[in-house]
Amino acid sequence: MTENVTYHSRKNVFYVILGIVFLVFLGRLIQLQFLYSEKYGKMSSENAIRNVAVAPLRGYMYDRNGILVVDNRPAYNVTVTPVEFENKNLELLTEILKMEKGEVRERIEKGKKYNRFSPVKIKRDVDFQTLSFVEEYSGQLKGVEYQFEPKRYYPTKAHGSHLLGYIKEITESQLQKLGEFYRQGDIIGASGLEAGYEKYLRGKKGFELITVDAEGKIIGNYNDGKSDIQPVEGDDLELTLDIKVQALAESLLSDKRGAVVAIDPNDGGIIALVSKPDFNPELLSGVTPLNVWQQLNTDPTKPLFNRATLTNYPPGSTFKMLLALAALQEGIIDENWRVNCRGSFTFGNKVFKDMHVHGPTNVVEAIQRSCNVFFYQLMLKTGLPTWSRYGKQFGFGTPTGIDILEENSGLLPSEEYYNRRYGKGRWTQGYLVSLGIGQGELGVSPLQLAAYAMVLANEGKYYKPHVVDKIKEKENKKNIKIQTEMRQINLKKEVWKSVREGLYRAVNVSGGTGASARVPGINVAGKTGTAQNPHGKDHAWFIGFAPYENPKIAICVLVENVGYGGVFAAPIAGLCIEQFLYGEIIRNKLNQPKLILPKTETEQIRD
Amino acid sequence: MQNWFSENINFGILISTLLLVLIGLGSIYSATYDAGASDFFNRQLIWAGIGLVAMLVVMFVPFRTLQLLSYPLYIFSILMLIAVLIFGKTVAGSKSWFGFGTFGLQPSEFVKVTCVLALATYLSDKKINLSRFKNLIVALLIVLIPVVLIIRQPDVGTAIIYILMLIPVLYWAGASLTLLLIIISPAAAAVAALFGITPFLIVLAALLITFFVLKENKLISAIIFSITVLVGVSVQFIYGKLAPYQQKRIDAFLNPEADPLGSGYNVIQSKVAIGSGGVFGKGFLEGSQTQLNFIPAQWTDFIYCVPAEEFGFVGSILILILFAYILFRSINVASTAKSRYASLVTMGVVSIFTAHILINIGMVMGIMPVIGVPLPLLSYGGSFLLSTMLMVGLLLNMYINRKEY
Repeated sequence: MTENVTYHSRKNVFYVILGIVFLVFLGRLIQLQFLYSEKYGKMSSENAIRNVAVAPLRGYMYDRNGILVVDNRPAYNVTVTPVEFENKNLELLTEILKMEKGEVRERIEKGKKYNRFSPVKIKRDVDFQTLSFVEEYSGQLKGVEYQFEPKRYYPTKAHGSHLLGYIKEITESQLQKLGEFYRQGDIIGASGLEAGYEKYLRGKKGFELITVDAEGKIIGNYNDGKSDIQPVEGDDLELTLDIKVQALAESLLSDKRGAVVAIDPNDGGIIALVSKPDFNPELLSGVTPLNVWQQLNTDPTKPLFNRATLTNYPPGSTFKMLLALAALQEGIIDENWRVNCRGSFTFGNKVFKDMHVHGPTNVVEAIQRSCNVFFYQLMLKTGLPTWSRYGKQFGFGTPTGIDILEENSGLLPSEEYYNRRYGKGRWTQGYLVSLGIGQGELGVSPLQLAAYAMVLANEGKYYKPHVVDKIKEKENKKNIKIQTEMRQINLKKEVWKSVREGLYRAVNVSGGTGASARVPGINVAGKTGTAQNPHGKDHAWFIGFAPYENPKIAICVLVENVGYGGVFAAPIAGLCIEQFLYGEIIRNKLNQPKLILPKTETEQIRD
Repeated sequence: MQNWFSENINFGILISTLLLVLIGLGSIYSATYDAGASDFFNRQLIWAGIGLVAMLVVMFVPFRTLQLLSYPLYIFSILMLIAVLIFGKTVAGSKSWFGFGTFGLQPSEFVKVTCVLALATYLSDKKINLSRFKNLIVALLIVLIPVVLIIRQPDVGTAIIYILMLIPVLYWAGASLTLLLIIISPAAAAVAALFGITPFLIVLAALLITFFVLKENKLISAIIFSITVLVGVSVQFIYGKLAPYQQKRIDAFLNPEADPLGSGYNVIQSKVAIGSGGVFGKGFLEGSQTQLNFIPAQWTDFIYCVPAEEFGFVGSILILILFAYILFRSINVASTAKSRYASLVTMGVVSIFTAHILINIGMVMGIMPVIGVPLPLLSYGGSFLLSTMLMVGLLLNMYINRKEY
């Protein structure tokens, strides 16, 4: 019973505390709902304080020399607050905005469904005349306003469409998936770096509390703006890109289909990544007019497709070095092992052709002259498992992991692949012969080949290709350096030496196939390739690096359906290397004889 | 039979609870109506059904069985809490969920129930004396283990609720006021110091007044006071030494609503919603503030605005009366219950409810800091509704067994 007595006194303490809490609540309710109810009622009915999101500036992007490549410029959007808008004004509004009536109505309806008190964007980036009309009719057009929003602007000559990417208005499904940060009408990165680094580039939205009067006119900022939240600018990206090389490569491919990927062999930084045909990214910053979209999507040359990372073509003779490295490293052959090339090679009942009769050829000469017969035989001697294992080491058949999201893994066949495809024991060694010269069931992207050129240049260091070097965080004022990932492909010193010598000779010694990649004053090494293509002319490839002694750039060039790699791809590589290493094209100033390009161009010839 | 029911079922608490659940469902329907998010309403309806069944089951569990189950249930729920830190799903920055398809479960909500049961079981043991250091530590650990795990999620709001449950229960179990002051004042000082110098000074002043009122021993008072000052000052000192972005993190921690829309904005809008409701309100589904836009996620923490705007003072006060009835009635049950266990379980539930109501409604009315804590029986959230109804089940069970020893 004593227990209940103590409970009794303690109960009173609880009664008093709870009593105070509920009395305070009651007092507050009386204060809010009786004394101030008129004031709050007025605020509420006028919707007096409006919360307007302030778009932050999207982060800037700079190239490796600090040149601004992605900029922002001011633009104005016309918005409608659905709850205030009177439908009788629909006609007038569509007339001013020069839009379809249905489209305007649909946008307002959509906004209404989400939040009828919050302004919804009706038209982006309107011209000055439209803006002044909106201003002029503001008395009549209740709920129609305009707001500032930065727009993407590209100050250099380069497009960089597939690399830098483009932005677009967020879709309904994205909105549902990503939630939280985004609202209807927001801009989001859709491809390339814009998509890959969206989280950094987008910044943080600000919010302004705006007081409006009974007519919906803005009086000013609530609480003198003290309650506003300032937007935080998006983080800047410092790229490994050299925008001048990018621009040059774009112009060199301007009337062609193809790709250029240049990469820094000292850290895997992308110097240029071009895919042509491309598009003007400024056309796709924000709301893209329907006809522009349709045009881009139905264009048979597929300008939206990133040829640099998504193509899946056989690499042709550029793949011969892989086989040479594998055979030398495994001790299957040595430098003195020779094949007597008679211009063709017969296996079973099939004849595999070569371009010339090369006579007795060792591995260095075979790379220099691109002797097919040598590599047909070497492939049979080396065998599929070893070749496939080395291919894997060099990153073929898997995505490189580059930071622009879209890429293809390509195809590197193995015994397993053939067993799956044709059934165990139902394929023969004959299937392999053409793999030795990079033809057949084999697919690579220019990016993968550029990475392979990088490894040849630096003797085995496979750096993960990347475009962003540093992220400059705005909020914390910190620079985040992107860690480069590297793995070493360990081969004997002599092996690298032989293969690299072959590449040097292929460009610099007469009888080499890559002579048109030469650059005055710099030793370029490289290899041409020509990929068979059942749908038309061959695809021209070139991979290379320079300077030979101390490589600073590795490059891969692809030109689709033109023919010979030495003719079409190699000169483009040479010019890009020249631009990168000299910072300009100097050959015109040197008064040198123009490059003489070989004139022959025969379909069945493999370089 | 008729007699047994009227004798043993606390219809007052049962009906108040059901009314509050119905008001909650109506408010969620209204808050999400404009957005076409009837999903929220349907889910809450399902959870309310599950909760009702669970409440009735708990209500009729035999008294001894419940006592025997208290420790095993507590241990099981703590294991769940550890598991969620490892395997859980992160929602809005907190790793506090188990996902099962579209339905999720939040173990921290259920630990509230088992924690009350375990603490009551321990403190009701005749051999336990809170003035013994060892016993006190065990009692504290029963609550602090889940608190530490929940802070790791991190979910500070829920952790605060546990602390606000612990202190009244200890007091009810017979802890001396001096002991409570030793526990409360440094903790209060640390939290107040983070909010600023003024709240800190208010805590110190309150402490001095308490000493005076209680005519506390001077030496003990001086020691408690110095510890409190030391804790508060060092918290301020450490906070000052942090980098701005770290400070920001702490601010956001204390004030989760500040990001990204700003707590100032939420509170302005919720005050406008309540105030504009006036005496009789704007009518169901007619609240212009309510219709999703002005207060983000209004159907969770800011749900009280909805009835306050749409049914005005009449609706607002009805909810307060229902809550007050449940709490006062339960305290009365606790003070007359024959068994110490029944008494302590009831007070545990009362404390948890009070903590939620105090923080939540205080925040919505703009007189408490913005801490993300939902309103019992009204706020959207399946696990929370279910655990709250389980706790009401406990209240009803204790009422049935109030004459048991």
